[in-house]
Amino acid sequence: MTAPADSQSSLEAVLKDEIVRMYQEVADDPTKEFHFFHGREAAGLFEYESEWLDRAPEGAVASFAGVGNPHLRSNIEPGETILDLGSGAGLDAIIASWKTGPTGQVIGVDLNPAMCLKSQANAQATGSRMECREGMMENIPVADASIDLVISNGVINLSFRKRRVVEEIFRVLKPGGRISITDIVSAKQLSQSIVNDPKLWAS
Amino acid sequence: MFRILEESGFTKVRSAVVPGFKFRKESTQNSAEAFGVKAVMMTATKP
Repeated sequence: MTAPADSQSSLEAVLKDEIVRMYQEVADDPTKEFHFFHGREAAGLFEYESEWLDRAPEGAVASFAGVGNPHLRSNIEPGETILDLGSGAGLDAIIASWKTGPTGQVIGVDLNPAMCLKSQANAQATGSRMECREGMMENIPVADASIDLVISNGVINLSFRKRRVVEEIFRVLKPGGRISITDIVSAKQLSQSIVNDPKLWAS
Repeated sequence: MFRILEESGFTKVRSAVVPGFKFRKESTQNSAEAFGVKAVMMTATKP
């Protein structure tokens, strides 16, 4: 019989693979239709400024798969260090880099090393500085108390261990640091059939 | 999430529903509504 902890670890590993697969698919073939809105259409729904979308590389815009606009309340100041948790193709990190400017720093973290490379290439195409680190949000590869602002867009809901993710965000923030996060929440407990189905959970 | 943020030590925790969020497929949207699924914006501060 499998112990519950082993069972959860196994499910998490499968889920990680499914998340990487799904969002890689959005990046590789953004013309495909998904059950969620993505690309410029989604960014328009969430009031991303047209100027940002025109200025950002097409690859970053087309692969955007967020669920809101964390920049609406981010209040980024020049020189700040910003962490984008689940940076994907890099649109939010690129916008953050424009706001924090040349004296600031933007660090992305993503599960998928290919997406890290893609986001960094997208950032470089606009002359933006962004470093992407491969890693998990339950174990953020960033030093304690080093971040002024954490942004994230539709990512934390994918974790089975949300409390751990929040504790990690708290750890990496400087005292006085802040978050501006958009994400999916559910008012009801999801059924076990959804929890146990990596495809549904990754959605 | 709101509760987890407060219990983890964050202060000034605020949330608001993302008005434009919806799923592309009507069947997915209907299921989401049945579970009370919504997109929210959250802000908070580390003291």
